[in-house]
Parts: sequence; C-alpha cells; structure tokens
Amino acid sequence: MNHTLTVCPYCGTGCMFYLVSDGGRLVGVEPSVTHPVSRAGLCVKGWNAFAFVHHPDRLTTPLIRRDGELRPASWDEALGLVVERLRDIQGKHGANSIMFASSAKATNEENYLLMKLARGVFGTNNIDHCARLCHSSTVVGLAETFGSGAMTNSIDCIDQAKVILVIGSNTTEQHPLIGSRILKAARSGARLIVADNRRIRLARHADLHLRHRNGSDVALLNGMMQVIIAEGLEDREFIDSRCENYPALAAAVADWTPERAAAVTGLDPEDIVAAARLFATAKTAMIVYSMGITQHSHGVDNVRCCAALAMLTGNLGRPGTGVNPLRGQNNVQGGCDMGALPDVLTGYQKVADPAVREKFARAWGVDGLPEQPGLPLTRAMDAAAEGLLKGMFILGENPILSDPDQGHARRALESLDFLAVQDIFLTETAQLAHVVLPAACFAEKEGTFTNTERRVQRVRKAVEPPGEARADWEIICALAERAGYGGMRYPDPSAVMDEIASLTPIYGGIGYDRLDPHGLQWPCPDRGHPGTPILHVGRFTRGQGRFSPVDYRPPSELPDDDYPFVLTTGRTYFHWHTGTMTRRTHLLDREERRSFVEINPDDAARLGVRERDQVVVTSRRGEVRTQARVTEMVVPGVVFMPFHFAEGAANALTNNVLDPESSIPEFKVCAVRVRRAP
Amino acid sequence: MSPQTTHMTEASLYLPVNCEIVAVIDLTPHEKLFRLRLVDGRPLGHLPGQFVQVSLLGWGEAPLSVASSPTRDGYFEMGVRRAGTLTAAMHELKAGDVIGIRGPFGRPFELPKLRGQDLLLISGGCGLAPMRSLIQYCEDRPEEFGSLTILYGAKSPADTLFKDDLAAWEASARFACSRTVDRITEGDCYSGGVGLVTALIPPLEIDPGRTVAVLVGPPVMYRAVVEELRKKGLDSDRIVVSLERHMRCGVGKCGHCTIEHLYCCQDGPVFWLNEIELLKGAL
Amino acid sequence: MKYLSPEQLAPFFASLEATHEVRLPILLPDGTRTLGHPSDGPLALQGGPLPGKPTAAFFPHEGGVFTAAAETVSTPPAPEKPLLVAGFTPRDLACLRFIDRFFADGWRDDIYFRRRQGAVIVGASGYCGPGGSLIPCADGECDLELVADCARWLVVPYTNAGEAIVGGLPDAAPDGALERIREESAALADVNEVLILRASELIRADRVPDTFWAEIGDRCIACTGCNLACPTCTCFGVQDWRYAERVERSRMWDSCQLDGFMREASGHNPLGTEALRTRRRIHHKLAADPERWGKISCFVCGRCDTVCPTGIGIFAVARELVERFGSVGGKAGSPCP
Repeated sequence: MNHTLTVCPYCGTGCMFYLVSDGGRLVGVEPSVTHPVSRAGLCVKGWNAFAFVHHPDRLTTPLIRRDGELRPASWDEALGLVVERLRDIQGKHGANSIMFASSAKATNEENYLLMKLARGVFGTNNIDHCARLCHSSTVVGLAETFGSGAMTNSIDCIDQAKVILVIGSNTTEQHPLIGSRILKAARSGARLIVADNRRIRLARHADLHLRHRNGSDVALLNGMMQVIIAEGLEDREFIDSRCENYPALAAAVADWTPERAAAVTGLDPEDIVAAARLFATAKTAMIVYSMGITQHSHGVDNVRCCAALAMLTGNLGRPGTGVNPLRGQNNVQGGCDMGALPDVLTGYQKVADPAVREKFARAWGVDGLPEQPGLPLTRAMDAAAEGLLKGMFILGENPILSDPDQGHARRALESLDFLAVQDIFLTETAQLAHVVLPAACFAEKEGTFTNTERRVQRVRKAVEPPGEARADWEIICALAERAGYGGMRYPDPSAVMDEIASLTPIYGGIGYDRLDPHGLQWPCPDRGHPGTPILHVGRFTRGQGRFSPVDYRPPSELPDDDYPFVLTTGRTYFHWHTGTMTRRTHLLDREERRSFVEINPDDAARLGVRERDQVVVTSRRGEVRTQARVTEMVVPGVVFMPFHFAEGAANALTNNVLDPESSIPEFKVCAVRVRRAP
Repeated sequence: MSPQTTHMTEASLYLPVNCEIVAVIDLTPHEKLFRLRLVDGRPLGHLPGQFVQVSLLGWGEAPLSVASSPTRDGYFEMGVRRAGTLTAAMHELKAGDVIGIRGPFGRPFELPKLRGQDLLLISGGCGLAPMRSLIQYCEDRPEEFGSLTILYGAKSPADTLFKDDLAAWEASARFACSRTVDRITEGDCYSGGVGLVTALIPPLEIDPGRTVAVLVGPPVMYRAVVEELRKKGLDSDRIVVSLERHMRCGVGKCGHCTIEHLYCCQDGPVFWLNEIELLKGAL
Repeated sequence: MKYLSPEQLAPFFASLEATHEVRLPILLPDGTRTLGHPSDGPLALQGGPLPGKPTAAFFPHEGGVFTAAAETVSTPPAPEKPLLVAGFTPRDLACLRFIDRFFADGWRDDIYFRRRQGAVIVGASGYCGPGGSLIPCADGECDLELVADCARWLVVPYTNAGEAIVGGLPDAAPDGALERIREESAALADVNEVLILRASELIRADRVPDTFWAEIGDRCIACTGCNLACPTCTCFGVQDWRYAERVERSRMWDSCQLDGFMREASGHNPLGTEALRTRRRIHHKLAADPERWGKISCFVCGRCDTVCPTGIGIFAVARELVERFGSVGGKAGSPCP
C-alpha cells in the first residue's frame, strides 16, 4: 500500500491529496491534513479523483486512421506520421498553417515543452490552450490595469475579508473548497454580496443577492462606482499614490446613476447603492469572479471594471482584498505561465520583443523564433473552417464539446488535412483524428500544476500508465526527436522545470527540491525567495495601477420574438467540462447522468413543461433535445444548460462571437427558444 | 464473541447464479415479461412478494420483483420496465440468453396472515408485476382465501400490463376484477373504466373485520388509496404495502434502501402499513 | 507487565511482518498520518485518531467484488497473511465492533470478513493523543492495547492472539502505571459525548423541526467527506467495468449526502432534498441506529468535523441543535440516563 502526495486534477483550487495504491492499482484518496488550501477536506470530485484512472476505456496504444477507421499502431509509426504530416503541410502551406492546442490539464513542464515544440521546432506561434475559453479576458484586462493577469491575493485572504463580492462565480460548485471558505467566512461575520442571477448556494448566505441581467455586469459595476464617487467613499490616498488615469474613470462612470444602472441590469437602484456602500466602506473588501465575468463578448471590459472597483476603494495589495479571478482548470494558470499562448513565451514574456526571442533562441539552440503572434484557439477554429489552417495537434482538449457552436467546431476539425490528438480517452474530438496518441493521466506521471493562487505544486506518479500509454512530456520530447531536434532530451520533468526557471523570471526560484510539501507561489524570482502570497503590495507589477474606464455594451445576441430566452451555460458540481473523466466515475456519473436545462417555473408553466419533461432547445445555430429541470435557480426569461454532455450538447447552441481583444467566446449569453419535445 | 450471522452462502454472497431466459414477451411498448429458469434446474424457491437482484455483466445489478407464483413449477417470471441502463440492456436480450441473479431476497407477503381473509389486491402501473405473484398464488390455491378482489389502474390502455391475465381474471368466477386507466386517447381499443384506481374502491362492499388490502404501485398511489380504505374501516394492521427502493445489494448492507431504521430489502419490501406509516419518507 | 520503549516499537512491528500483513499509523511527507506498511514511513502511533478511518483496512474505499472472465468467476483473494492493524483508539474500537456486527448480521458480508477474519487488532491509548493528551484506555475490545505512558508503551494483551504476538517480549515488574492511567481515564469527561447523547434524545423526541435540517443543508456542499471519513458509515455503491476480456465488479464507499444515493430509475427519490439528506446523515446515527441496533452509532471520533469544509460535522450540528432546541422542557446538556 502506497500513499502518493499529489494535486487534484479537476479545478484550479489546487487541493492536494494522497492517492492510495495497492499492488499497482489505485484504491482510494486521502486528503492532505496540512494543506493550506484544502485543510484536510476535499470536494466530491477530489474524493473520487482516483476512480476513472483504470477505466477500461483508457487509450492503451497509438491509433492511426486507416480506411476511415482508427486502428492500433506502433509508437514508431504514429510519431513518424505526426511529424511527417505536419512538416508536409508546413512545406506546402507555410509554417503558420498548423496549430498546436496545449492543455490546461497537462503539467507546466508539458505545456512548456509543447510551446517549445511549436515555436522552437515547428517555427510557429500558433499555440494556445483552453485558457482562451475561460480567462483570456482576465489575462488581458488585469495585465492592462495591474500588469499581471493572475489572482492578486491568496485563498487564505478570504478569512481576512470583511466584505466579499462574488460576481459570476458559482464558487461552492466550481471551486468547492474556495466556496466553502467563503461560506464559512460569511457565517463568521464577513458580509457577502453575490451578483449572479442564478440562485447559487452562496446566494442563500448572502447579505445582498443581486440577480442582474446576463451580460449587464459593466452597468452594475459602473453604477456601483458612480455611487462610491458621488458619495465620496473612494480611497483618495490609494488612488493618488498608487493609480493613474483616475479622472477618465470618474468621467466615464459619472452618468451611471443607480437609476440608469438599474434600468440596464433590471435591479432595484437601492440594491446597487447598498452594494456600493457595503463594498466601499469595508476595511477589507475582496472581489471573487469567474466565468460569469469573463465569458462575454465584452469580457475584458468586465474585468477592467472589477479592477477599477478594487483600485477605487483601495482594496489591493493587502490581506483580505484583491481582484481574484478563480481559474477553472487545475493547471490553466500554469498553461498561461508556460507561454502556451500565441503572443507570449513563459512568464508572459512577449514574442514581439526581440530580446526575449533572442534569449529563448539561444537557450534552445535554434536559429531564431517566430515574431508574429500566432492564432488564438478560437480564431484558429475559424481559420480551419475557412480552409486557411491545415493541420492541428491537440493535447488533452475536447473542442467538439467545449467550443462554442458545435457545428462550427466540427466543420473546422473535419476541414483539416491532418489532426493529431493526444489524450487519455477517445474523446469526441479524438474520434475525428488521423492519429491518436495515448497519454498517461495525472496519477501516472511527474510534474507540477500551478493553482489559481499561483501556487506551483508537485504532481507525482502513483501508478503506471495503462498499456503503451506514455506521459505527455515523453511523447512531446519523442516528437521533437523525430523532427530532428536534439534539444529536448530530459532525464525527468524536474530538469524541464530547471530550464523553465532559467528562462522565466517569475519562476526563477522554482525547483522541485523547493516544492515540498505544498509548493511555492510565484513570483518567486530566485532560489532564496519565499514566494509571493499577495501581488501588488506597495507597487503594482506595472508600476501604477491603471484605471481603464469602459462603457456598457450589450451581449451580441439578445432575446427576440423568435428566440425569446437567454441561454447561459456553465458546469455542474459533479462533472468536469466535457465529462471524459467524471462521466467515467461511477458516483459522479450517477449524480448527473444526462443533459438538462434549468427553466423557471413561470416559464415552464407557460410552455406546459413539467419537471423531467423532454424539451427541445433551439438557437440560430442548432437544436438539442434535453430534460427540463423546473427550478427557481434561474430567473424568468433565462435558461441554463451545462456543457458536459455530448448528447444534448449546450455548445450546439452557443454563439461563436468573440471578445475583440481576448478572443474569448460569449458562452454566457445567447438567444434560444424552448418547447416541449413532441 | 463472533457476531451472529443467520445466513451464510457457500460462495460469495455477491456472486450471481446463472439463469436462462426461456421466453421474452412484450407487455407494453416499455415493458417486457421475462420467463426464466435457473440453469442448474433448481427452483428459485421464492415466495410471492420477494425480489431478486438481476445481474447483467457489465451493467451491474438491479432489484426486480418476481411476477410469478412459486406454485407455477419450473420457471419464474419478471416484468421489466425499460427505465435505467441495466433494464434497457435487458430489453435487448432474447430467449436462450443467460443472465445472473441473486436471491430471492426480502420479506414476502405474509401468507399465513392472509389465509382465510378476503383480499383486496390493489395495484397501479408496474406494481401489477409483483402483485401478480400473489394473484397467481391465489389462483392456484383458491381454497386458502376468502373473496378475492383485484383492482388495477394503468396510465393508458397501451400502458396496461398483463392484458391477457387481466382478461382471464375478469372472466374467472373466483376473482372480482376491476381495472381503469388514467386517460384514453382516440383510437384506443379499450372497454374498461377511466379514472384513478382510487375511484374503484368506494363502490366495494368490504367487511373490515375479515379483509386485508394489499397495495403495490407507484409512490403517489399509496396515500390516496389508503385514505379510501380508511373510509371503508380498514385499519393499518389490515393494509399491506410493498415499497420500491433501489436496492444495490439486496442483503441489508449497501444502505441504499433504508427507511429510517428499516432496510427495505430485508425488513421489506412488504410491510404492514402500521409498521411504516409513521416513518419519514416511507410512503 | 511488558513494556516497549519508543525505539523498540518500530522493530517490534517490523518483526510481526513475518506472520502478519501489518498496517500501522505512519507519518506521510506533509505531516498527514495514515495507515500504512511499516516500510512506508516513520511510525506515528502518537497523535490520536488517524484522519482516515482505520476500518478502511477491512472495508476499503474501493475494492473488488468479483472478476468474470470467459468461463470463470473469481472473487478477490483473502490476504496471504492475516492482517494486523494498529492504531485504533478506544472510540475506533467501538466503531469496529459496531460494523463487525453490522456486516455479520443477517447475511454475512464475506468480502468484509475475508480481510477481517483472523485480523489482529492493536489499540493505542494513554498519553498518545494530540499534543500528548490522554486517550482513555480501551480495556479490551482489541487483541492488544499499547498504552502510552511518558517515555514508554505499556503492552496489554487481551486475547490469545494478542498474547501470542507479545510472547517474546520480556516481562518486567508492574509499577502501577496502567492502573494510574485507568484511573485518569475514568476521570476524563468528553463534552462532545454529552452533546451527542443530548442531540440523540432531542431528535428521538421529535423536537427538531424540518426547517433546521434545511438550514444545515444550505451549508452542505455535498463533498461526502463526512460519510467517507466515518468509521461506522458502511454504505457502498457497485460498478461494473467492461474490459475486452473480463468484467470487473467492484464496490466503493458511497454517501447518503448525494442526490443519486436513493434516486430510482423512475426519478422517484425518497431522499430527494438537501434537508432530507442532511437529516438522514445525523438522524441515522443518533436515532435510526439506536432503534435498530440499540446503540448510537456515532462513537464521537470527530472525523466528520475535521473533514467538513463548511463546519457542519456531527459535533457542530449537535451543538447547534442542542443550543436551539434543548432548553425547553428538557435538561440541556445533561446526559441521558
């Protein structure tokens, strides 16, 4: 019986637990009692995180499509074919005719290596990962205002906050061990404002529950800031000494009286005033947000408003404060940190900067690196659908279910001349591939994940991968070798991290020997540095904090007579994204077995729909059949669907319209109609 | 000081034994009747009201009541509604296929206490399947009972189970058999009553001192039917109910079928109403 | 009387590996304690109850039911050597006795007893609680008890099996330490025990309204940790995995805090609300089990309170319940006769 300390593979909270194995097989999970985030607890997914690992559906051998069917092949053939086809396409159509999709599920080391493969070996900046779909607007918005696109504070800060504003985050379901901290804080005296029109669990404990219209966050936040300034509640000293461009903000929000904001948000003006006063008068006030803020065609604007509200009230750089985007995936923070993004190398060093390119080229022993930023994932799918992109290598992502407008995503992938997918199960996306490479899962390899509070933690191998499956990092290195590049020979992932540290100032002091037991929070510039629990103390990363005022823009598709409902999408507590792991975990699968749509009882009555009835939900892009869940969780006029389910897929309906700056899709608002299934 | 064990099995308690499907008969668009026999030729050894854990390798197990009486030799039957993944898989099977079962389990209808009584056998929906094990028993041992009244309610004529049996019981002099459906749609070939099964009770003449009512049906049926029976003077110690729970083990271990301190799979599924009517969540 | 010094303890257990599969409290790299093999980490008998339930040695998180291949069906083999599990506190021993009885009653759960049968149970008590605090002596209920007394462990066998494994240790003159610790144990009062008894009384007297359970349920995120950490929680789920050449049926710890726990294929769910599920979690231990088994099945180990991320373990709930409903017409805080 062995106990292996590792990091949960689900959300970005970064709980650590022990995988218990016996005779080479996982038999359970035990929480780490001393971990600073999970503190001896876990959520239901964590408790069951071992349960999919030995599933019979695991991929155990490389597959190559022959005569239209995926058939087992040797590693030699499969790796050779991937390199040959990608090179071939590049030869015909140019370096940027291929795309690499990295994975927020994979380790830092693997993200780094795929990034290195794309840029150093295949000479393209076309690399991105699913951060594009969740927090790309955060990275853009917070980099502009603070100089760093990460959660400013630590999860521990929740205990010190007097007021917590949770906006667009169903925290107890999506980051359960953070949500439970907020819930506990609210029970022990912190005031809680929940801005979310679903009646989420935290709303039951809130002092104020603001059920504003989907996509009206800018109006709400501008309205709050107008009240704060009008009533003189702003933090003058902080603004004067730490920030810039304040007059522009004051001017921009001056018109956003509570009445005007109320008209846009559908709220009572008095609630906006109350929220503003509560937030601005607290000694320590913290903003927690997630996809409800980011997944809009104006996602970056939403983020700018959150940043502005925190600066306006001086709630940055201190315990119990901050702008705290909760990153979705276990390693989406790390995926970004590692430069699995089209415009930056590791640590957000810009590809456009010649000195940066020079540094990496020299370290990697290559002649030069591409200068033009590459394609964001969402734009790459468009390019593929248009025939401009010809080849794609996807590591551990499932865009067929996770991307907006499923029909579009499918057309895009089917248009490719060549698609290679590296994953642990034969996902809906892998089923379309020409080559499938079987990967080890989190329990079968070494590496690090970086959680939402920038904590770099060790992932450890507890059991062997099934069959011929290999760790992602080994596969990527083998591909590099095949492609004739000799600069990717590492004895183990620890050596990869040493290379990352040598090239990445914010990871400069990170090394495996320093990560026991519970990791280090970046920035950690050198080996003597203890890590940084709170960013922007005394000074913003960019120097002065910058107010970036914005005006309200409505979502791009609003309900009308033909499509009278707003559809908003998200996740459930029991499943993870496209369900490849959780739907293969007995207890989690049992909890939510099929697609559903939440609909308000008033709407349901009007449509003659009862609980558990089959309904058809239709948008301009598609139609799905699903089961009605009649509930006060949603307000009248709004329906909610989770995107986990291949049958009854929410993303068959969503709108592939992108935020112009971050290219994040508007998952949170589109127009649909609902009827009882015949 | 080893704790007391009343049942031991030779192999594992959780190992199913093989059963051959002798015949599969469509009952409704959603329900099929499976006729089975143990591959080793033994009788199942059940009593009316008991259930078995049906095991389909790869699909798991589900509790299904036996729909035939032990007085019918050589086989046993189960009415199976396509509801979950296991029952859906089972609907794909045909005569000659082999499935696993464990059991019979659970407390049967208490025949010694029913003997000599007038029986009011009330079922709704697929509740007729377990009830049929008792009806068949009465059919085969008519001398053991007083008057026998069958009341059955289905959603619609198409959803009516065991139509041939019902016709036979209606024709039989030994039974008074009334049935009803919640609704009919045009074109239905149906001559019975329309309405809820509760409506069949008021016209009955009942001697509450020598009548026992047996109820098997969906959860919504019990309260309404019990209320009607009370009006007829039947006390809780003269009403028998069979409760449905999703037992995973059938032997009182897995915990999925508890009703407060009772284990439905061991203490039930058949209960006298006075044993459970005060327990939260029982009905 | 036999004694073991702290230094002798690890070699003592290591010597038992020849005849037993030994599981004992070990210290993991980040300070978490768990049951492991002697070689898995430093011995950590000090520190009080383990965070995980020690009964997991017999009823693991996930374990096989059977494997069916072409023509053969095989059940998981019994351990090659009998298990020897150390580290049970007296409360853990009470839990073990409870589930021994549960798994044996009626139908005997052969999967449980395949590991449990013949296992040697070693209790730990005395001054080995958190921070060196006193854990009362069990005085039985196990094969062998190790009682911590300052710089040594008193070795107290209760059964032949216990006698047999300590037979090789030298005898020394008793110095009254065991009697002293027994006296000190008897003088210990546990407020949580009083609380649990009182909460049980109130629930059984139907003094707790449904709204209370709804309120507690609002604070539950359904992590299931309370059930998974509880040594007397025995509920399990069953799954089949279909491999190319075999089907594996296994069972895993399940939780009544999940909506799907009792949900039937028809959609009917006798535990279909958070309030009902929260009530069930507490009611089952404090009212249903006393009704069925004549015993409250919470043995006051405190694991669910430690593991609960939102602070609604059974002590916390009992405290709130007694504060709110215990004062009228009853003697709040007084143990039941």
